Amino acid sequence: MISTGMYGIDDMLGGGIPDGSRVIYSLDPGVDGQLFMISTLYEALEQKKSCLVIIPHTTVEAFLHDVEQLRGHRIRPEEHAIAFLDSVDRERIQRQAGKNGATMTAWQDRIKKVCAEKKIEVLFGYFDILYEDLGLEKCLSLLTPACYPSKSTVIVEHLNLDGDAFLDLPEIRRAFDLILAIKSSFRPLPHFNYFTILYTSWSTQLRRSVPFLVKKGHIVPYIPKIVVTGPPHSGKSRFVLNATALGVSVDRFGSEGPDITTAMDFGWLHWQDFDITLYGTPGQPRFDAMLPGVLKNAMGAVLLVDATDRDQLSRAKQIYKTVAKMHLPVVVAANKKDLTGVMGEDEIRKCIGIGKDVPVFLISALQKNDVRDVLESLVASITRFIY
Amino acid sequence: MINQQMYSYKTGIPQIDMATGGFEAGTNLLLLAPALSYAEQFAYTLTRPQAGEYAIMLSTNERASEVTDQFKNIGADKHFIGVIDAITKSSTPAVSDTERFMFVTNPTDLTGIGIKFSHMIETIFEGTFSGQESGLFPPPIRFCVNSVSTLLMYRKLEVLYQFLHVMTAKLKKVEGFGIYVLNSEAFDERTISLLKQLMTIVIEIKVERTDNYFRVMGIPGVNADWHKFTITNGQVILGL
Repeated sequence: MISTGMYGIDDMLGGGIPDGSRVIYSLDPGVDGQLFMISTLYEALEQKKSCLVIIPHTTVEAFLHDVEQLRGHRIRPEEHAIAFLDSVDRERIQRQAGKNGATMTAWQDRIKKVCAEKKIEVLFGYFDILYEDLGLEKCLSLLTPACYPSKSTVIVEHLNLDGDAFLDLPEIRRAFDLILAIKSSFRPLPHFNYFTILYTSWSTQLRRSVPFLVKKGHIVPYIPKIVVTGPPHSGKSRFVLNATALGVSVDRFGSEGPDITTAMDFGWLHWQDFDITLYGTPGQPRFDAMLPGVLKNAMGAVLLVDATDRDQLSRAKQIYKTVAKMHLPVVVAANKKDLTGVMGEDEIRKCIGIGKDVPVFLISALQKNDVRDVLESLVASITRFIY
Repeated sequence: MINQQMYSYKTGIPQIDMATGGFEAGTNLLLLAPALSYAEQFAYTLTRPQAGEYAIMLSTNERASEVTDQFKNIGADKHFIGVIDAITKSSTPAVSDTERFMFVTNPTDLTGIGIKFSHMIETIFEGTFSGQESGLFPPPIRFCVNSVSTLLMYRKLEVLYQFLHVMTAKLKKVEGFGIYVLNSEAFDERTISLLKQLMTIVIEIKVERTDNYFRVMGIPGVNADWHKFTITNGQVILGL
């Protein structure tokens, strides 16, 4: 197993990339996704694997410098088992081979030779230029065991100008064990980057889309907004504060009782290799007008209810209706399980009107483990959800 | 009251600006010209940022320092100019990116070009590009590809068409103004007509004896007559 170098993604893949797999990181034009393959390259070198890197668009020196700029430290070829075929090799091959068929044979011969000489275990390559030079069929044939030892792993980066249609091609589906598409969007936020695991041959999981940030040379999966909402005094502020490393609550002491949230709870946490931001809402009906605005662009929601207060559930039902309209992954956290008079899960489901597809957790927001269980379930839902 | 009217980009050519009021945000313009016809100076004039604007030049022919000098010579403020340089890195591999100067090894590297372009746009949107931000939002950005002709020498037409399709669409999204320089003599009619499909407006330049002429096509209500011109200090001056 080779780590992708992006631990949140390794978890989604069941631990990483199985040896002998063929992987395509497909980049939409302009999306800052070069670190995906480079992270995997660093990880393979770290694991002392011998690597061949095919960079037909650039020279070795320029590549090493680019990688250093992206990652923060340099790959020193003399310290690793690493070989390159670069733009100079491409020019040489094109000059010598001339016609298309001969070009492919020349590439095959070069790759075979290097793989044999250096006992290559992982082959990294930039796909789109070879694809342009050779055409799809011939380019894919370079990735077959005819060219490299059968147990080798192949990782390619591809500038995908053809869109999803390219990744849906039967040849592509047959050729790769992991198809990971890296895209950007102007919605829900400007310059919003996300990746989608479209297909893995070693599991039957659903496709997953997750936003990401590039931080200090690493890809960090990112959940920019989870909304924590629910009726007053259900424990939202406590939930946010206990979930996060940094949390604040804007409360006031008033006629409705002590410490009622009158603006927002806000918290940030780095958890399971995700950066997550939580937004807690006030629960009184007079704030209902702002709830759709807060839910806009959220990736998930936690509905907090007081499991000991039946009278509150009609208010929870109202709030749930607003949340449900946003078509988001939702988890219900029934709080105060440590008190007497706690309702059962079925009763809560019935009163709020939620189906079996929405998880319900009986928790105490005072218990960090309970809070984390809710978040874990929600994050799992978010990473499986097709936005 | 919020003014919802879109930004318009002045060309610096009074006759065009008076007739059009400036080009609408999201315009992509093909500058089609033969060699030795002032095309480059014309492109610099169109790309020169006005007050509150930014300019990004993808240069396949000149180094970043030369591009900056060219802009300075026509009175542009260098703090509002970004260059994606596809020349320098091939001879100086260790050259490092800065906020305003970014480098790709050669024009083959469309992945790198796309990413550097996105980075610059992002930095401009974040308000950290020049250190002297005007506060206009969305920030007006002029983007020039100098030249599409060189890109076509490195990548196939179909590939470049797809790439430029994405770039022109992005420019529209950020409400920018794109200028794409293409040598009209170096490519066949099919190539030129394919690239025209991506554009909103075409400015064509021709040379007759020692005189240069341009015409503008694609603006409703504006005729496509040829205008004799010269360029002095970045000013397009129409002749009789």
